[in-house]
This record gives sequence, C-alpha cells and structure tokens, in this order.
Amino acid sequence: MARARNTQNRRRLLVFDTIAAIVVTIGAVAFLLDTLAIRWGLNEEYISTSYVDYLKAAQVSLYVTTVSYFFGMGIGFVLGWARSVRTMPLAKVIEVHRRAFAAAADGGRPRRWPVGAILLYGVKYYVKRIADAYVAIIRGTPLFVQIIFAWSAIITYYPRMDLTLQGLFAGILALTANTGGYQSEIFRAGISTVHSGQVEAARAIGLTRWGAMRNVILPQALRLVIPPLTNEYIGLLKASSLMVVVGAVTELTTFGRREAFISFHVFEAFALVTGIYLLITVPVSKVVERIERRYRVPGLGVQQDRAARV
Amino acid sequence: MIRVEDLQKRFGSLHVLKGVDLEVQKGEVLVVIGPSGSGKSTLLRCINLLIEPDDGRVLLEGVQVNRPGIKREWVREQVGMVFQSFNLFTHLTALQNVTLGPTRVRGEDPGKAAERGRALLARVGLADKADAYPAQLSGGQQQRVAIARALAMNPKAMLFDEPTSALDPEYIREVLDVMASLAQDGMTMIVVTHEMGFASNVARRILFMDAGKIIEEGAPEEIFHRPKEERTRAFVSKILR
Amino acid sequence: MVTTVGSATRRSLDRGVTLRTLLRAAEMAIGAILFIIILEVVLRFDILDSTLWGLYGPYYFVTGVLGTLQYIAIIIPLSVAVGFSVGWARLSRLRVVTWPLSVYVDFFRGVPPIIIVIFASLLGPSLVPARFHSKDLGILMAALALSLHSGAYQSEIFRAGFMSVPTGQLEAAQSLGMTRGQSMQFVVLPQALRLSVPPLANELAVVIKDTSLLAIIGALDLFGLSNVFTQQAVFGSNQLWWVFVVWTAVALVYFVMTFSVTELLNWVDRRYHVKGLEAISA
Repeated sequence: MARARNTQNRRRLLVFDTIAAIVVTIGAVAFLLDTLAIRWGLNEEYISTSYVDYLKAAQVSLYVTTVSYFFGMGIGFVLGWARSVRTMPLAKVIEVHRRAFAAAADGGRPRRWPVGAILLYGVKYYVKRIADAYVAIIRGTPLFVQIIFAWSAIITYYPRMDLTLQGLFAGILALTANTGGYQSEIFRAGISTVHSGQVEAARAIGLTRWGAMRNVILPQALRLVIPPLTNEYIGLLKASSLMVVVGAVTELTTFGRREAFISFHVFEAFALVTGIYLLITVPVSKVVERIERRYRVPGLGVQQDRAARV
Repeated sequence: MIRVEDLQKRFGSLHVLKGVDLEVQKGEVLVVIGPSGSGKSTLLRCINLLIEPDDGRVLLEGVQVNRPGIKREWVREQVGMVFQSFNLFTHLTALQNVTLGPTRVRGEDPGKAAERGRALLARVGLADKADAYPAQLSGGQQQRVAIARALAMNPKAMLFDEPTSALDPEYIREVLDVMASLAQDGMTMIVVTHEMGFASNVARRILFMDAGKIIEEGAPEEIFHRPKEERTRAFVSKILR
Repeated sequence: MVTTVGSATRRSLDRGVTLRTLLRAAEMAIGAILFIIILEVVLRFDILDSTLWGLYGPYYFVTGVLGTLQYIAIIIPLSVAVGFSVGWARLSRLRVVTWPLSVYVDFFRGVPPIIIVIFASLLGPSLVPARFHSKDLGILMAALALSLHSGAYQSEIFRAGFMSVPTGQLEAAQSLGMTRGQSMQFVVLPQALRLSVPPLANELAVVIKDTSLLAIIGALDLFGLSNVFTQQAVFGSNQLWWVFVVWTAVALVYFVMTFSVTELLNWVDRRYHVKGLEAISA
C-alpha cells in the first residue's frame, strides 16, 4: 500500500538522516581539533595538572562579572525607569492649564502660564535625553575603549594604587557602566510594555500611583525582564574577557593567553578556556531559550540586544 | 472534472481523512460543510496537492494527479485556491499580487498581465485599489483581491477554504457576491464554508463531512430540511437554529 | 526576541522622519558643543592642541581609521554572506545539515570574541599550507574568525526573518503554481529580508566595535594604534590629559561609524518597510 510504503520510507530517511548528522557533526569537530592539535601537539598531562588554575581564573571572571552586573543593575533600573516614564506632550500640558485658568475666573488664581509644569516638563525631558545620550554612547563605542578610558582615569587619579587593583577597578567601572546602559534598555522596554493602560486600570480600582507600580506594573515587568537579564549576565561574562587589555587582573582570558605564551601549550590553553566558557554559557542560554519559548506571549516581549557587545 | 477516490491522510497518529470520495462536474458548485476538525481543509489541500495524500486517488479531468511524474505546479495552475486568511503578498500592491502568477509562472508579458489584472480587479469591484497595499485594504477587499489573484491563472476550478470565516460581518456579503457571480459564469467551485445562505442559493450539491468521512450528500434543501443521517441532522440543527 | 515597535508606530515614524532626524541631529550637535565646552573650560583640556595632534594625527589616527575601515570592509560582507547562508540552511528539514550548523552557531555564540581572535591568530595559520604564511596571516585568520563569529549571530537574525514570514504566504505562492524556488525568490525572501534589516543594523554596529579586538594581536586599527600612541607619547611626555582627548576622539569616531551604519539601515528599513509585517522571535 502506498501509505505504508510512504511512512516506512520516511522513517528510514529520518534514521539515516540522524545517523549522518551525528557522523558529520562529530567528524567535522574531530577533524578540526585534530588538525589544530597536530601542529601544536596535545599534552594531556598539562590539561590534567593545570585545569584547576584555569578554574580559579574563571572564578575571578565570575566575580568581576557578578559585581559589575549588580551595580550595573542599579544604574540600569534607574535609567530604564527614567527613560520609560511617559511625559505628557508640552502642548497638552499648556492646554490643560489654559482650560483650568479660563474656568477658574471665578475661583482660585492659577497663573497665566503653567511655569512650574513647564519647568518640570523641561527637567523631565532633559533628564531623559541625558539618559538616552548615556546609553547611546555606551552602545555606540567599543567596550575596549570604555575599559581603557576607565583605566586611564584611574591611573591618572590614583597613580600609586596597586597595579592589580587599578586594573580591577577600571574593569569593574567600565563593565558596570556598560551593563548599566544595556540593562537600562531592558528595563525601559519591560516597564513601558506593561505600563500602557495598566496604570489607569490600577488607579481605577483605587490604587495610588505607587501602589499601582508595586502591585500591578512591577510584577508583570519582572516576568518580562528576567530572560533578557539572564542573557545579559552571560553577555557580561563574555565581555569581562576584554579585561585582558588591562592585563593585571587574572581573569580567565588573561590567564589563558598568558599560559599559551609561556607554556607554548597553545591548543590546550585554547581548549581549556573555550571549554570553560562554553560550559557556563551554553547551558544557561539553552535554559533561557526554553523558558522564553514556553512562556512567550505573541506580541509581548522585550527587544534584546545581542548580549556580547564590545 | 475533479474526482477524489478513497482519500486517506494521516498526520502522525491522527487519522484525518478516512477514505473520502468526492466528485464535482464542470460548472458545478459543491459546498462542503462540517464541524471543525472534520478534515475539510485537509481535503481541499489534497486536491491541489499542497498536502500529499497517503492513499487514494485524486483525478483532474480523468487524469490521476497524485503520483510521481506529475508536476505539482502544473496541477496548481489548473486549480486555484482562496484561503481563509487571504494570504496576500504583503510586500506587493493589489495589482502586483494579481500579476505575479501570470508573469512569473506563465511568463506572460508584464504589460498584458497588468491589463488583465486590472480587468480582474474591476470584476471583483476593486479597480480603484490596484496600487494599494494589502495592509491598506479591509478584510473583504483583501479577500476579493485574493480571488482576483487566483482567477488570474485562468484555473479550470477553484477551491475556497472558509473564505469568509476571518471576515468582519459587514464584509462577508461583498465576498459572497463575487463568489456567486463566479458561479453564475460557470466556474467549477468547491467551497468549504459555514455560510448556509450561500450554500442554499448557489450550491448544486452539499457534502456533509465529519471526522474524516463524507457522511451525507445531497441537494441543499435535502441536506438542510430533510437530512437522512443522524449526525447531519445534529450539525444542521446547530447551524440553522 | 520580539520587536515592540508595531506597524502603527512605524507609520507615524514614517511621517515625522525628516523632522525627527533633523531634531536628533540638532540635539546631538548641541550635546557635542556642550561637551566640548565642558572639556575646554571646566577640565581645561586643550582639545585642539597642535602638539598633540601633530604627534597623534598623521600616523596613528589616520592610519588607525583606515585600518579599522579596512577590517570592516573585509568582515561585514563575509559575515553577512555566512550569516545568510547558514540562516537559510538551518531551515532545512535534514538533520545532517542543521545539526552541524547548530553546533557552529552555539560555539561561536558561547565563546567571547576576544578568545576567538587570540586563538585564531595563533592556531589559524596551522590550517593554511606553509607557502601562504606571512606575518599578517594571523591577523587575517583572526578577521576571518570574527566573520564566522558575527555570521553565527547573523544566521539567527536571518533565520528569524525567514520564520517570521507567515506560512500562508508560501502556501498562496504555491497554490498559484510557483515552484519552491520561485516562491522563495518572489514571496518569502523579499519579506524575510525586510524583516531582518533592523536587527541586522544592530549586529553590524557590533561588528564595527568588534574590529577593535584585533588590536590585541597587533592589528593596525584605530584602537591599537591609539593605544600604542598613548602608552608611548603620554607616559613619556607627562601630558596625562592627552590620554583623555585621544580616547574621546577615538570613541567619537567609533560612535560616528556605528551611528552611520544604524541610521543607513534604518533608512533602508523605512524605505522598504511593509506595513502589517512584523517580526516574531526565533
């Protein structure tokens, strides 16, 4: 029967396909590793003795990343908030005030121009623009430049600080500023996605502005914001590798590079460094992907920059 | 003109078509009704080979078309299809939507194709919307462009998959009117729909389909007022109220 | 990722385009002028000090900018070609095609680009027969590796673009009698590419910034040469504030480059935008 033959054929093709896929994948990877290993040699003893040192260096990376991440979150949240708050257009503010003024000819005495409101509007607007400028600069310039900039500042103002500490502070400073900029994007999108209409609805059932924020907007925004924030952490971990330009802090990349040059075990160093990064980043990314897919609401989400920025 | 014999289709463990027989003559309008999940859409898509039947035969003018050696594209040129979600090409204007098939598939001269395209758009009442993009058109207008697009290929028959189900009520009439005028001009049509008014007035025969099989077949007034099968009666009473 | 800008917002953006760009340009000009004033007056940095620019400008700055542009010119086309091909290929139903490619993408997305640069320059030449070896081969291999790196990210972008085109479009095209190839060419591809442009703009900006990574292996790009200059000239001559002027200038150049690319692609997006077509996440 045509149907049975058809399904049978399809199943056979699938099995063949899967086997071929495994062969090709493993084969290609093995071939590549082999070619590289031949030239440089593969010293297993080196790997088994020094992997602990690599892990310690990885610890430093994680430490730097985590510190910068949470400081950056503070900055990011504040900036994100500032950039997401919607201001009434200036024209409307004046219009509303005009009507109040005209209607109050018989009652209180508001001034002719809503000076206070305009000033407040101006302040809000410029705070927002400055925040925008900050984020634009962070996103528009390489992290390398940001790190060097921070490092130059620290060296200039604290020339007698211990070299490693200088590097450490410079790195954390730059990474904090950097992740702060990117996280502000995440928070801004999260807050403004939820904001529309929800504040009115919350006030309508009697919540104050703060109450609405706490009980309605923030819980929803939190849910939206967690996957991209997790990705941002991973991205920051990868970005922390750029501290190699400072040289004094022994995070994973600096350590791996140094080892490669000192011991000439280039391939092994590469394998260890790459392996450790992959071990951390890939599982976390996969988990986040799965969570995002499960809880995705079509049309609702936070735009995410590619996490590894330089 | 189109005949389907003992059509079988499974999706994994789901047996969607359990041996469907169908026949429609040239110039005839056949309406297929039935509850959702009964396999109506799958049936239509097997006829123009968008879906590959597992078993059974699909015959177009006596020629079996569901076999290797027949080019699917050739079959689909002969049988046009109109979709529930219109599926207009969003990056092209209405006229471009209509002329894409003739120019790219048939190699028609673009000027002639445009002329014919405008004529077709006029036929469905949208002569003035030739340069509009789908996003600028209402649902009813989009569906009428979709009909013009299918007609541009000069098909021998047309398949309609719930053409008005995605429309706001005020637009249903205009689409059904176009379809009725097509029927009047002698187009062979198989229409899956819930619009009973259309079915009663325009269809020559109605097929009631449920759970992958044709349960009953007959003239509109028989199916609606004197159904023979119990399931038909249950479904019709729900629809007609 | 899901874009939050829907078609309605796009439409209103269309209308205000010229005004908006003008306003933004004006704002940036004012900001720049303010910034310069702060630097000159408050911090007392003499920005246009001719000594500084005399030393830094002709060789380091100019060569650096040219170098960076050169690497950009190599990496961008290559990465787009790789990204598009891989993105397309990953749509295949054949696992023998998709699995190796997924490994490729996951690898390059999980490893920091600087590692890729460093080790490509060290290990890369081993993959090339000896007669092609030159002192710049390491840098070339690193540039190629960066192309593969960005290509991995771009493949995700293009793949998302393809998958965002509603399947009904393909059905409709086929129902008109188009072959798979024709449907791809005239219906799916035009829409998929339009959808891919905004995230692509972002990614290309990242590529521009990533070229600075090549400096660590000695490439003569803007970052590398500026680094060399500041370390030599500044710590020698004790004019510490030169450092800040140089790095500000460097930051400005990169900013202009990334801004130009994103604005250019945004213009392309506005020009060819299809109303009613929105991107969905991959």
